[in-house]
Amino acid sequence: MNATVRSDALEPYVAAFDAARPFAGETEAARTLAFERFAELGFPSPRDESWKYTNLRRLESRRFSSTAPDTGAMLRAATVPELAPHRVVLLDGRCVASRGPGMPPLSGVRIRTLAEAIADGEPQSALFRVPSGGGTERFAALNVALCPDVLVVDIDEGARLAEALQIDLASSGTERGMSHPRLLIRAAAGSSARIVLRHAGGEDAEHFVNAFVEVEAGPDAELRLYRLQAQGGRGFLVERLEATLGQRALLEIHDAQLGASLTRLDLNARLAAPGSTARLTGLFLADGSRHMDTHVHVDHLAPHTTSLVDYRGIAAGRGRGVFNGKAIVHAGAQKSQARQVSRNLLLTAGAEIDSKPELEIYADDVQCSHGSTTGQLDPAALFYLRSRGLGQHEARGALTRAFAGAVLSRMDHGPFAAAVHATLDDRLVRLLETTE
Amino acid sequence: MLKIHNLHASVANRPILKGVDLEVRGGEVHAIMGPNGSGKSTLASVLAGREGYVVTDGTVEYLGQDLLAMAPEDRARAGVFLAFQYPVEIPGVNNAYLLKAALNAIRKQRGEPELDAFEFLAMVRERMKLMQMDESFLNRGVNEGFSGGEKKRNEILQMAMLEPRLALLDETDSGLDIDALRVVANGVNSLRDPARSIVMVTHYQRLLDYVEPDVVHVLSDGRILLSGGKGLALELEKRGYDWVRHEARVA
Repeated sequence: MNATVRSDALEPYVAAFDAARPFAGETEAARTLAFERFAELGFPSPRDESWKYTNLRRLESRRFSSTAPDTGAMLRAATVPELAPHRVVLLDGRCVASRGPGMPPLSGVRIRTLAEAIADGEPQSALFRVPSGGGTERFAALNVALCPDVLVVDIDEGARLAEALQIDLASSGTERGMSHPRLLIRAAAGSSARIVLRHAGGEDAEHFVNAFVEVEAGPDAELRLYRLQAQGGRGFLVERLEATLGQRALLEIHDAQLGASLTRLDLNARLAAPGSTARLTGLFLADGSRHMDTHVHVDHLAPHTTSLVDYRGIAAGRGRGVFNGKAIVHAGAQKSQARQVSRNLLLTAGAEIDSKPELEIYADDVQCSHGSTTGQLDPAALFYLRSRGLGQHEARGALTRAFAGAVLSRMDHGPFAAAVHATLDDRLVRLLETTE
Repeated sequence: MLKIHNLHASVANRPILKGVDLEVRGGEVHAIMGPNGSGKSTLASVLAGREGYVVTDGTVEYLGQDLLAMAPEDRARAGVFLAFQYPVEIPGVNNAYLLKAALNAIRKQRGEPELDAFEFLAMVRERMKLMQMDESFLNRGVNEGFSGGEKKRNEILQMAMLEPRLALLDETDSGLDIDALRVVANGVNSLRDPARSIVMVTHYQRLLDYVEPDVVHVLSDGRILLSGGKGLALELEKRGYDWVRHEARVA
């Protein structure tokens, strides 16, 4: 009985896989392997620990099909405001504007599509690798099977990019459309770059975006990712971000999750070589009936590695947030530091955030800490502001912005920070008016 | 200005104020003194509209309006200001933002235009000089990491900016050294005005050496037992509060 239900849920994906055949460039074998992995794992059951607070029944019950290329949508996607001087647009997972007219060349970066990478002899093992483990392995496998393109971004050895690169993961907004954007970002030794990753589009349509982003930072590389998730309000979004760091490499992720209807982000960082550092900070706003689930997993695999995870969540209305942070300090990763902070704010009685920081330590000379709080706006602070003449909305807004500000103030890319502030302000004004 | 009649108030179902009567006219400075637990701070909190204080009986009339029916922000906009005994630290909310937002909310209520950035800065600079505060305080979080004295100075700075009609000072002198007390008192005195009334709640007579009250009241067990001129404060300082309570019982 159960098996029948499972196969029903997988049926649209089987159809999508069949429709995508034949695959270009002799990639069929790798794709088929990935699809079999997805089919084997299937959708998570409610008993699956890593999906404890996130029920995918709604996603499973919809029949999504792969979005066809859409010229009109391509043009619209290319006109949304830019947050950086250089931009690449993946529309429904297809690269539409890597070197469009008016786009100045950004020296020190090589950006290729899947076809170009294959033509260059890029090994399929790099392009179609399925990550193992974690609750989103199944979706990453599905992405590898179905991604219409792979955007390969290589930052040259020693290149220090003065300007940021923006990569839009845009949705065309096809009702019941699904897409599988795939990114591979490699920062070679000694390079330094800032990349804005923006999820946008799909405003009025129920759609499903299943993204898979791989990041490799070589020795002494510095990579700063600014992730702005402003997906349309009826969207489902699952994303796996898998990062591996080399010696003394630095990865910073600044994450702002503001959109979509149901989201799951798995952010996995492997501190694989001595001296590597990951700083992962983020904010999510689960208002309305939004459900946002974030899992951050850091593996300390080498000595002298450092991780700082600092996430803040805000929930309002019937919104629901989930934060699961896990740091594992493996045997031999001596002199490592792992710090995790999860702070959460509930603006209304119906909102909920479940936060669970976890630490596993198998080395004896390490510094680790974790903390988690969930609470409401401080009534004493609220009264203080109102006693100075600020109205209820303005006082609540000021305190909420102050709460978010602790992570937003570290988002040091100006246009990105401005876009996050503007969206947050706009949403706070609306949600505070309706949650009086 | 302010007429309090038979005010009863409870905190967590415990009666604290048990029939306070008090009238403050325009331009007057009143001191409310009394032993710990007499209800002094409760009175200030009730007047400012703090949550958790339930008025069970009585009335408070402020400039002809029913003060108790007003939300805290509406009281502030109508010219009531409470200088907190324990000013709240609010990291992430900028001091300058609060001053400007508060000032403009009150100006809007008065039908005055908002101040532009230049006018605001000129005004706040002048008031900060008076309070001997460094301008760097403007860009810090509200009271964030301020010392006890700095917090109290910041309260009076806000008061000087907002120019209230009725200022309530709740133990503004507590925790101040003598130099800070002088600065704070100087700030309060600069705001004495025929159109402004000041009610100071204090445990000690010390502040009254610097800010001379017109009337001194003794609050004990939720009632005003005795009222008099500034000489009463000196007598309290010498003799304590017990004799007042004793005389009240005899009477």
